Amino acid sequence: MPSNGNSPYVPIPMHVLHAYYESTDHSLKTLELSFDHAEDSRAFFDAFNPGQFCLLSVAGMGESALGVASAAWEGDFVRFTAQKMGSVTSALHSLKAGDAIGMRGPLGNGFPLEDWKGKSLVIIGGGCAFSTLYALTKHVHHPTNRDDYGKLTLVYGTRTSGLCMYKHDIAAWHENEDMEIHQAIDVPEENWLHHVGYVPDVVRQVAPSPDNAVAVVCGPPIMTKFTLPVLVELGFAPEDIFTSLEKRMKCGIGKCGRCNLGPKYICKDGPVFSLAELNALPADL
Amino acid sequence: MNLILEKQALPGLLQGWREQYDVFLPQKLERFSHFLPLTPDSVLVTDEPHNTRIPPKALFLPMTETLVKFTRFGGYQDAQQNIHPRIIFAIRPCDAQAVQLLDTSFIQESYTDPLWLEKREKTITVGLGCHEPCHNGFCTTVGYGPFNKVGLDALLTDLGEVFLVETLTEKGYSLFLGLREAQQQMTEVAQRVQQQAYDKMPVAFETEGLKAKLEQNFNSSYWQEVSQSCLGCGVCTFLCPTCFCFDIADETQRRERVRNWDTCMFRTYSLEASGHNPRPSKVERTRQRLSHKFVYWLDQINQIGCTGCGRCVRYCPVGLDIRAMLRQAQTLPFEVNHAL
Repeated sequence: MPSNGNSPYVPIPMHVLHAYYESTDHSLKTLELSFDHAEDSRAFFDAFNPGQFCLLSVAGMGESALGVASAAWEGDFVRFTAQKMGSVTSALHSLKAGDAIGMRGPLGNGFPLEDWKGKSLVIIGGGCAFSTLYALTKHVHHPTNRDDYGKLTLVYGTRTSGLCMYKHDIAAWHENEDMEIHQAIDVPEENWLHHVGYVPDVVRQVAPSPDNAVAVVCGPPIMTKFTLPVLVELGFAPEDIFTSLEKRMKCGIGKCGRCNLGPKYICKDGPVFSLAELNALPADL
Repeated sequence: MNLILEKQALPGLLQGWREQYDVFLPQKLERFSHFLPLTPDSVLVTDEPHNTRIPPKALFLPMTETLVKFTRFGGYQDAQQNIHPRIIFAIRPCDAQAVQLLDTSFIQESYTDPLWLEKREKTITVGLGCHEPCHNGFCTTVGYGPFNKVGLDALLTDLGEVFLVETLTEKGYSLFLGLREAQQQMTEVAQRVQQQAYDKMPVAFETEGLKAKLEQNFNSSYWQEVSQSCLGCGVCTFLCPTCFCFDIADETQRRERVRNWDTCMFRTYSLEASGHNPRPSKVERTRQRLSHKFVYWLDQINQIGCTGCGRCVRYCPVGLDIRAMLRQAQTLPFEVNHAL
């Protein structure tokens, strides 16, 4: 992690490049941040791996942990999508292009992309937790990386169509021969051409093949809880099912004690765990 | 090396250290003893039947500490701490052991906490062994002891008129230059005192198999039973020498980001922005406190994360006793209930 000076608690200075609403109800806002110093950028991208997160800092308000929603090849910026929940995320929502902001990261382990090479990927997301899966899909989908992986299947569910994030890219991906995309919303809407229903049910219906494949699940706890058993039913081994966890966090570097799951810290040892790893940990989520 | 320190020479020695060091030692403050800086009028308090109320972890991880300073134009600066070389005198072995346990969390290959590290590097610890067992202490039960040497640069054994000084590191030796070496006979007397102190400590509970009992009864009604009278005040964790959890908060008027001691016994500790709380009641929170010390520390570094200082027993306002809780845990059946 690049650190400003020596302290891992000091954020690196960033500026907002673009800020725009991601959902029609304005509950989700995307921020694209650029680095004030080239050395911070270099250090960031040397360490960055899709699936990692950062702590965004607003002086006087605090810090918020957000997954990185961009791939390294996209350019010299880092993208995040924040749901407006408390004081920090409200402050993030009020930022506009040019505003200063602090960032600590990249933090956590990220997805084990090396281990996944040669395998098909089943990427399953729900709601705003799709952000790191978006970064993963963009990474894998890039021509330089695409041949390293087999079939790409994407299942993405949101409560309403208006809450679906990254619409432009997803619409473009539908045109791709090498990707199978299943979008879902919870309740029917007019002119909706895709699935209607909850993510676990859609996964069961789509029934992605477990042959030489790994599945990655990111979503609200309730979605993850019901999707993991469906994947087991479909024949995925616990070692081939991955999820990214979240808990309340403060330090982001395994010191403050807050995000422990048994002896593991989600911030430092996670946030990505396989189901096999989770089965060996206490159900303290 | 073993040296002899005459008790009447101690005040002079302590005052002499002040020329080069900040010296902290237990002194009376209101009704309790506390580690306070040595002044010309300081009176050392070591004759209480127990330890200081606030553990000396506070000298390494203060209750509140600045992490980051905000600059005028929205930037961030490292908080400079001004740590003078210092000595902690008469730290008890349980508390020194606790500092070593905390080292394993704050000083790691992946991330090291610079504020902790600087204080550790600039501190010399002189321990005072406990020749009489303290009320509620159970150091030997958890594998440590009244003359445990871990985390210490020197250890003192009270032999009446004199202290036997065991210097354990170069830094420790440097403080006692000029003292006469102990004769073999004195060393043997000290060893007997140490062994007697060890033998006097009662076995508070059985640790063999305890980890597995706690792990396998994760969903047991046991946790309901042992947490029933808990008020959730958090004093057990606040005064615990191995508890290190902290919150990070912005102090807007001071333009600083600070860390403050926090506790897993509070509801807001794990409460998430969505409203979800993985530990919604004192049942889960008590389970976390005990499991951290007697399961997770063992998973991480194969050491029990409790040094048996007895503070949580002594200061609990409703008399909850971790020793009794763990004795009860040992009566639980083994059961496998790892639910998905």
